Parts: sequence; structure tokens; C-alpha cells
Amino acid sequence: MGILNDLWLGLQEFGHFLPIMMMFIGVIVGIMVGVLPGLSPSIGVALMLPVTFGLDPISALVLLVSVYLSSNYGGSITAIAINTPGTPGAVATTFDGYELTKQGKPLHALITSLTASTIGGLIGTIILILFSVPLASLALSFESYEYFALGVFGLTIISSLAGKSPLKGFISSGIGLLLITVGFDTQLPFSRFSMGIPDLADGIEFIPALIGLFALGEIFFSIEKGDDKKVEKAAKVDLSNTLPIKQLFKLKTLILKSSVIGTLVGCIPGAGGTIATFIAYDNAKNSSKNPEKFGKGSLEGVAAPEAANNGSVGGALVPLLTLGIPGSASTAVLIGALMIHKLNPGPELFNKEPGLVYGIFISLFFANIFMFFVGLAGNKLWIKIIAAPKSLLYPLILALSFIGSYFIQNSVFDVGICIAFGILGWLLKRGDFPTAPVILGLILGKMIEENLRLSLIKGDWIDFFTRPGSLIILILALVSFFLPHIKRKLKKIN
Amino acid sequence: MKNYFAGIILVFYFGLLGYLYLSLGHGDTYPAKPISIIVHSKPGSAIDYMARKVSEIARKYSKVPFVIENRSGTQGLVAMKHVLDNKADGYTLLGVTKSFLSTVMVNKSKVKLDDFLFVANMVSDPEAIISNEDRDFNSIEDIIIDSKQNQKQVWIGPGTGSRDHLMALKSWEVLKIDASWIDYKSAPQSILALLRDESAVYVGNPADIKGKSGLKIISIASDNRLSSLPDIPTFKEQGYDLSESMWRGFAFKKGVQDEAIEYVTKILQDVVNDEEWKVYCDETNVFSNFEKHIEFTQLIEQEVEETNYYLNKAGLLATYQEQSQIPMLLILFLIVGIVFLLILAFNKFIINKINYNQIIAGGIISISLFFYYQTMLFSIPENANVTNPALIPRIWIIILLLLSVILIFNSKNKIEGHNKLMPGRVVIIIAFLIVYLISMQWIGYFFTTPVFILSTMYLLLYRKPAYMIINAFGFVMFSYFIFNKLLHIDLPLGWLFI
Repeated sequence: MGILNDLWLGLQEFGHFLPIMMMFIGVIVGIMVGVLPGLSPSIGVALMLPVTFGLDPISALVLLVSVYLSSNYGGSITAIAINTPGTPGAVATTFDGYELTKQGKPLHALITSLTASTIGGLIGTIILILFSVPLASLALSFESYEYFALGVFGLTIISSLAGKSPLKGFISSGIGLLLITVGFDTQLPFSRFSMGIPDLADGIEFIPALIGLFALGEIFFSIEKGDDKKVEKAAKVDLSNTLPIKQLFKLKTLILKSSVIGTLVGCIPGAGGTIATFIAYDNAKNSSKNPEKFGKGSLEGVAAPEAANNGSVGGALVPLLTLGIPGSASTAVLIGALMIHKLNPGPELFNKEPGLVYGIFISLFFANIFMFFVGLAGNKLWIKIIAAPKSLLYPLILALSFIGSYFIQNSVFDVGICIAFGILGWLLKRGDFPTAPVILGLILGKMIEENLRLSLIKGDWIDFFTRPGSLIILILALVSFFLPHIKRKLKKIN
Repeated sequence: MKNYFAGIILVFYFGLLGYLYLSLGHGDTYPAKPISIIVHSKPGSAIDYMARKVSEIARKYSKVPFVIENRSGTQGLVAMKHVLDNKADGYTLLGVTKSFLSTVMVNKSKVKLDDFLFVANMVSDPEAIISNEDRDFNSIEDIIIDSKQNQKQVWIGPGTGSRDHLMALKSWEVLKIDASWIDYKSAPQSILALLRDESAVYVGNPADIKGKSGLKIISIASDNRLSSLPDIPTFKEQGYDLSESMWRGFAFKKGVQDEAIEYVTKILQDVVNDEEWKVYCDETNVFSNFEKHIEFTQLIEQEVEETNYYLNKAGLLATYQEQSQIPMLLILFLIVGIVFLLILAFNKFIINKINYNQIIAGGIISISLFFYYQTMLFSIPENANVTNPALIPRIWIIILLLLSVILIFNSKNKIEGHNKLMPGRVVIIIAFLIVYLISMQWIGYFFTTPVFILSTMYLLLYRKPAYMIINAFGFVMFSYFIFNKLLHIDLPLGWLFI
């Protein structure tokens, strides 16, 4: 009954005016952080950090954790509404979410995403409470070999993302993989491919590239097609069916499974929620009865990545609290917050401050539920924005993308990166090249290179196949690579 | 109604411009406004925590507050450049650490240590060597014996050319050990590897393992023991003359007025003498080590030489070759020309038949070849324990080349539907964006943004003046409150305000 006792301690710690207030504020701020392109969860948490200095430790951590949690949801709103992932974790949500919006069903997508996020967050929290100790050993067992294998596994997802032309999908991902090698070498302190341009020395900043590729690319492409002239058509949004409860209920096993995937991948330090969303999407598509609907407005395609994304929050807290190692960029800031409040993350914290640790767990629970209701209320506003004429909306999105790219490092160069990737996205879209694989390449490229080269220093190529962990993941990668093709062939035969 | 609302928005907008103009007026005596401390790493890092502590304690002594701004990236170059881009008016202080020495030397950037005036050093954080408890190392001697008996020892830590790496090189020299360095990129990944017992030694600072179990500090490289860790011996006690500490302090841009230096030095001295400062030092396991401008600068001059010696030893100063941009561009154009000629030749010289897929593929092939050309210029230091930096880019390049060639073959004679689309307006919008970007730096964000939004709306055939005004100027107000006021991001004001 140790856990119940600890939970009770946690509830006592959390159940005061200030922590609860901070949870409310954190959730609302977090959703706003998620919605604004350029403000990723880690930046949001970092921005709130100074606010917490004057607070007691539990209120401070509740505020930060709530921001972290709900910004992961908030990113999906813009992904669905305007094809601009507000956070990197919402990239996979654009595939089907934005399709649904184009079909006039944004509310279905928004509600599915909200529900999946909430359940994902809750399941992540439960797993965190019950299994943090065994999961810590999973986190610890991941060596460079397994990270490399996970990166390769992530890349194979392209074969199910690519749709019509796998060839074009792989070319897109190759572009991303090559572009991410620009900047500091992973082992030597010198800059590759930057051609003496100081702003490129550290490589391409990820968020401006993401905003450019999705928001600007989409705007350029739809202006070219003349979408903005169809003002009347765009205004027609289906508001009739507010809560697609029946459809949501059908997604229950999928949401459950995706949440677990999200939590597991989330607890591997450095892997991160974004990779989890892609794996969950891929898994949902491969196990779906209607895989052909994916990418054309499938609710499953919205639910899976969103559940995984919010599930990863609980996961990322596992190594933070059990080993004192940050699992993601946001938890790295949380470590800073703990330090500033004179708390040392790690096994010591569980023993010395069980009330605090379990207080955070309890607050995660309530934050999830509160997030659901704020999200429901917010949907009305998002729908209005979606219904606005494109010719009014596009200039504002362009201006917002601009400031979102600028703000990360106060760098005009980053805005240039955003525009350049916008042009790249547009050129690719014109030729039916999917743009998501570019992002996947940008995300996975560093992980693959760093860990491959680290492994080669430590050992040999053969080690990837003799270690059970990396071997299993590599086999999964093979399966994930060929499964969509085999399925397609089988369907043709039938 | 909407016209009325548009009018109000305009009044607010001009009110904002007036306010911005007036708020930039300076006071007469220094300090007249808050002093920013620029920190080169994320919140919660060692130097960030120190800067925040200084800011907190300084409230007791200073007329104006010290405000922390985090500007991370390129091992500190981003922060250094930011300070140099600002005026030397005594309102921008840079948090400096010893790691900046390597950063400046290795990157060979335009930023020089001479550009800064080092105001004061605050702490010295001893380097430590840390092992897994399972190894049963109790002293330096045990590590030396292990290195002689077993296979080549592995030492790990974050970074190549980092202070931790240089500490390892220095230790091997003093302890006469033949070991190899593996860079685990970040302190957390290094500590994970140490927890798995992948290496004999992790090089870091005592604070790195606070709160974690299973790890043990073998020795610290300072002259005396830390009062907060009285059981940890120093190298010197064990008979090895080895000291290496990370210092952290503050610097201004050179050219700053004397009264600013005096004022900040005085405040920092007050901070160091405060009781709270001693508590901070014990908590984070560092020595308080206040050194004023002259001593601090001398210390840095000595250390530059030492750093140079070890970086050379690791072969890290010779790797970087500055390439001139103009010949590189010529080579790029040459490659593009040849590739497209080949594609045309493949299409039997009929220009009409080149299709969109082939253009994209041609572009990718050209850029890949250009990247490949650059990988041939890479060089690897002889004695460094690394793999070839060209390996991975070349794998991607070869895959891209193969796929693009397949695409060209596949697309031959296919009719493309994209010719119908008219990119005209898109090109104009891209031009608008570029003009907006360039003019923003000169005329300022608050003038150019409404112009950009209004003209883009006009181009997209939106013609309701009241809504246009509400949205364009409303957006500027919104971004001012969210980004300037809430998030403290300086949007460029341009020359009209200077």
C-alpha cells in the first residue's frame, strides 16, 4: 500500500489554493504556447521558469508540468486548423487533421485530438506512477546501438507515409537527412557545409524550418491553386455534429495502444515525443482496417499521434525523477527548475520528498482533465478562425510565422531559413513530393549519425546485430518498411 | 461600428509608437535602467543558476535590477555576438566561463576574446573525475593500476575540445596514462553511460552527480578540499600536481565607460561578501573566487596559452579550413550547369520535354554533388578518436543521387499537369516576404508589419478596408503585448528610433 500512502501525501501537498491555481494558469498558458508557432513546449516551459522563482516548489513544478502537458496538446490545434504544427510533436497530426479541415470537418478532428490527448496524458501519468522503476531500467538499457536502431526504425515509417509514390517520399527524407548534417560535426568541433556563413555554423534551426515547410509551403501552394479565391466555400464548416461520441468510442483500443507507445518512447532519454507520434501513426495505419483512409482525413490518424504525444509527457518524467536524467528538451528545463528550488532530481528525491513527487503526479491527472474542458471551450474560437476568408488569414499567418521564427534566437537569419524552407516546401508540393518526410529526416538525422558514429568508436558494425535490443528494433524496422508494400500487393491479388 | 473599431485600433497603434519612442529616452547618471545579464546556456545550467543568484542577492545592493536573458547556441558564440552587437553602454553584461576560450579558438570566428572587458571572476568550479561505484576505485592510484592491467581505459564526458576533454588530456599527461576519450555529447548521456559502467572515468564537475546514486567522485582538481564535500581528496594530496577549474564570471563589451565597470564591480563584490553567496557556493560545490578586472584578465591570458597547447595536442586547431565563398558559388553553378545539360541530353535535346520532376531531381543532384565536393575538403586530426565526418553525409548523398536518377528515368515522357498552375502571385508574395525581412531591420518591426499585412491582403484580393485595418494594426498590437511585454523579446525598432 506504499503507493496509496504516497498518493495521499501527494494529494495533501497539491490540495492547496496556490498549486491548484498554478495548474489552471499552466494549462491555459500551455495551450497558448502550443498554438503559437515557434513556441515549442520546451521554450514555453523555459519562459515560465522565471515566474516560478517566487513560488514554493510544488506550485512551481505544477505550473511548469501543466505548461509542458497542455502545450503538447495545443500544438495540434494549429496543425488541424491551418496545417501549421504549433509544436514539433504535432507534425503527424497535420496528415489527417488538416485533411479533415479541408473537408469541412475541423471540429471532428479537434475533438478527436483533444480526447486522444487527454486520455493519452492520463495513461502516461498512470504508467508513470505504477511502473517508473522498471521503466527506468528500460531508459538505462538504451545505448547508442539502440538509439541508432530506433532512428532507422523511424525512417522506415516513410514507406507508409509516402502514399502514392514511395520514391518521392524517400527523396524528401533524403533532403532532410542531408540538410541536418549542415553545422557542427557530431564529433569534431568544426562546422560542415556552412561555407563560412557564421549563422549556419550551428546548423539549421529546426523550428523555423518546420514553420516554413508547413505553414509557408501550404500557403504558397494554395495561393498558386487559387484556394484563397474560394471565399464562399471555405466558410462552410460543418458545425452540426458537435461530439462524435460513437466514432470516438470506436477508437478506444487505438488510443490506449498509442498512449502506451508514446509513454514508452517518451521515457527513452533523447528519443522524444515527436518520434513517438510518428511510430504511433505508422502503427495505427498498419493495424487499421481502413489504411487507405490515412492521409485523407482519418480520425484514427488524428487520434494515434495525439495520444502518443501526450502520453510521452508522463514517459519523459520517468528518467527525470528516477535517474535525474532529462528525457526531453522540456524536462531539461524542469531539471533546472528543481535545481533552482534546491531539489536534486534522482532517486534521492523520491525518498526525501515523496509528497512533492506524488503531488506532481496528482497535478498531472487534474491538469489533463482541466485541459479537456478548456479545449472544448476553445474549439468554438478555433472554428471561427478556420472559417475566416483565406485572403484575410494568410497574411496574418505569414506575419505570425515570421515573428515565430525570429523569436527563438532573435535572429533575422532564422526568418530567412523559414522563408527558404517555405519555398522548398512549395516546390516539393508542386511536384507531389510529400513534405513530412523532410521533417522526419531533420528529426532523425542527428540521432542516427551521432549514435552510429559513437557505436563505431566503441565497437563494430556487427554489434548492431548481436545486441538483442538493437536487433529487435532493426527487425521491427524491416517489418515496418516492407509491410505497407506487402499489404498493397496482397490487396491487388485479392 | 467596424469603422469605429478600426479608428480605435489606429489611435492605439500611434499611441504605441509614441510610447515606444519616449520609453527609449535615457537617464543622465549610470545606472538609469535595468542591466541585462546574457547567459549562453539554457535556464537551470550552472552559469544560469549563478547569474540568477547574483541577480537575486544584488537586489539588496543595486539601484537597478539585473535581468537574466538566455541566448544559447554555438557553444556561446550566439551570446557573445549578441553582446558585441549591442552598444558598450554598460547595460549588457555577459556571463563568461572558461569554456569560451576553446569556443573562440576552435571556431576561428570573428568574435575575439579581446573584444571583451572581463569585469570580475566569481567562482571556480573544480574539475572532478567520477567513476561507477562497482569499479571499486578509491584513489587515483587505483585508476592508474587499472589502466596498466586492463585494456585501454575509456574516459568519457561531453564534448570534443571542451574543458572536460582538455582536463582528460591534462590528467593523462600528469598521471602517465594511455587512455582514449569518447565524447557522449551531453552531460546526461555521459552520466547514463557511466551508470551502465561503459567507461572507467567520467570527467565533469562535482555538482553533476548530485542526487544520483551509484556514482562516486574519485578526486577533484583543486588546491583545497571543498567544504561541502570534505571526504573527497584532491589530486595534490595524492601527490599529483594537477589543478583545473572552470571559472565563471562577467564581462562587458570593450569600450564601456569606467563608471559602469566600477559600479558593477562594487555590486559583485557586495554579492560575494553576502552570507547567501556562501550558502550558494556550498550548495553547488564550488569555490567562491572573486577576482577583479586586472587579476582576472591576467588569469585568462595564461590560460589561453595552456588551452592552445592542449587543443593543438588533440589536433583540434588544424581541422577547420576557411573556405572562400566565391569559388564555392562558382563550383555550385558549374555543377548545376553540367547536371541540367546532362538531363537535357537524356531527353534528346528537346527543351520542351523536360518536366517538373526532372527539374526537382536535377536540383537535388546538383546540390548533392556540391555537398559531396565539400566533404572532400574535410580533414581529420591524426590522433583523435573519431570516425570520418564525411561518412554519414556521403551515405545520404549517394542514396539521394541514386533515387534522383531513378526519378529522372521514371519521369521521362510523362506529361505533367503543373504547367497549368500560375506561380506569378506566389513569386510576388515571396518577394514581399524578402522585402519585409530586409526593411524590418532598417525601418523597424512596428512600421513594416502593417504595410506587409495590408499589401499581402490587397494582393490576395481582400477588399474590406475596415477589416484590413483592424487585422493589420491589431496584429501589431497583439505581437507587441505577447512578445515584447509578456515574453520580453526585442522586436527590431530600426533606425527611426535610434
